[in-house]
Amino acid sequence: MAHSSIEADAPYWAALDEGRLVMPRCGHCGTWHWPAVARCGECGNWGVEWHDVAPEGTVFTWTRTWHPFGGTEGIGTPFVTLVVSIDGAGGKRLMGLLDGDDAGIAIGAKVKGVVGQTRFGDRAVPSFHWHLAN
Amino acid sequence: MNKALFATTAVAGIGIRQFKRGQSPMSERTALVHAIVDACAEAGLDPADVDGFVSYGDDKNEPVRLMPELGTKELCWSQAVFGGGGGGIAAAFGSAAAAILTGQASAVIVFRALVQGHSGRLSAAVMAHHLNDMMIAAGVMAPAQVCAMRAMRLFEHHGVPTSTAEEFVKACYYHGARNPDAVAYGQTFDHAQYAASRMIAEPFHLFDCSRENDGAGAVLLVSAERARDLRKPPVYLLGVTQGTEKGWGDLAENDVDYASAGFASVVRRLWRQTDLTPADIDCAQIYENFSAQGVASLIDHGFCGYEDAAEFVRMENLIAPGGKLPINTAGGNTAQGFIHGIGIALESVRQLRGESANPVPGARTCLLAGGPGSPTVSSAIFGSAAAFG
Repeated sequence: MAHSSIEADAPYWAALDEGRLVMPRCGHCGTWHWPAVARCGECGNWGVEWHDVAPEGTVFTWTRTWHPFGGTEGIGTPFVTLVVSIDGAGGKRLMGLLDGDDAGIAIGAKVKGVVGQTRFGDRAVPSFHWHLAN
Repeated sequence: MNKALFATTAVAGIGIRQFKRGQSPMSERTALVHAIVDACAEAGLDPADVDGFVSYGDDKNEPVRLMPELGTKELCWSQAVFGGGGGGIAAAFGSAAAAILTGQASAVIVFRALVQGHSGRLSAAVMAHHLNDMMIAAGVMAPAQVCAMRAMRLFEHHGVPTSTAEEFVKACYYHGARNPDAVAYGQTFDHAQYAASRMIAEPFHLFDCSRENDGAGAVLLVSAERARDLRKPPVYLLGVTQGTEKGWGDLAENDVDYASAGFASVVRRLWRQTDLTPADIDCAQIYENFSAQGVASLIDHGFCGYEDAAEFVRMENLIAPGGKLPINTAGGNTAQGFIHGIGIALESVRQLRGESANPVPGARTCLLAGGPGSPTVSSAIFGSAAAFG
């Protein structure tokens, strides 16, 4: 399903389709924003700029889901969801799934992301999948 | 103190119908009409004279549709609090009081009705309010997972022991087991059961999660003056605040005080508005969607901090009659039943009337805290006549 081109986060999804991570930053005061905004509430500037950012960060929090909540069938339980502070975007946090070995998962762990997909019903939602660094 | 609001409105009647989830023998609207008629009967007020209604949390019962069955003569106030979770429960009383105190309505019902056959699963409804592709992509489909991630931060980063969540739940079950109207009436609950229950989303076990029930609850609010002429001893609304502040909201897990329950600004305004402090609160009904969010609510309201949470959040401190701060004295959302939290509003009233199944001797004030972790939350303080001489 295409993401609406008029929503504030449209550049995020467009870049994801190209395998890149972009995050929005105010062109006037430099504040990083997430969720995406059309206007910077810090300084009132309407000029939000999108920057390429490395999909690297630090685990802010996480959970391992064991209950098969409706919609997660395509992922399969158990699975680990992360909130990742993005190093190159002022620590703004993105949610994502952890792939691979999860034995070292902890708040503060370093992770790297690759572009992938998450199955949701009969949809494939583009997403970053994270791996523990080291 | 906000003199316009402090003890100038009062609860005159309550009514509730609660059933097992998915097993209501009546429609959602019929359950609600029963609850409203019961609340009016307690007060000795003709349901046809109710002229205002307030709900919260995606309630689907538009008040105008209740008129034919209530015999409503005039509908003057018809509102819902924004927000998909239980964060609007106390705020609904603020809306009702605003209507009464400004002459826009005179008898206002605060309600919440939820029958699964009509409105579907509550958790699904709450999630539908927030769900987007960022969450779907991360496998986050349920409130339990979001609250689990906040709980993980509370425990792992802020060092609050997981024992606090268990102690909170045990206090709820202690009261529920002793309340004939509670789902958990007569049940035993101990550490072994808690530890053995299946994992839902780490760190939450099954018993960290609230139930869902079918049913409806209604609370009748009128002016304090009018309440004194009705049948039941008035339970006064002493103060109420709602909302949030910068750095908190529907922020895709970017909230600044992430492991909190989101009450910082609401609580600050509540104490200032009422000239009360945590030490003035005799008992509390703490909306717990999940155990850790109940603990975070206690911290947010200043009953304890991260450092001494383990010392304060122990079952013996949280149970009637002798605990320092008896909480969820009917069993709460966990053990009494969960019609999106309306039950804890009713217990606030029962406790201050001396009608609770687990009475707190001499209780004059009761805190009602709604919707921990929701983008917007709300708190209210109720008091008996003794609360203000």
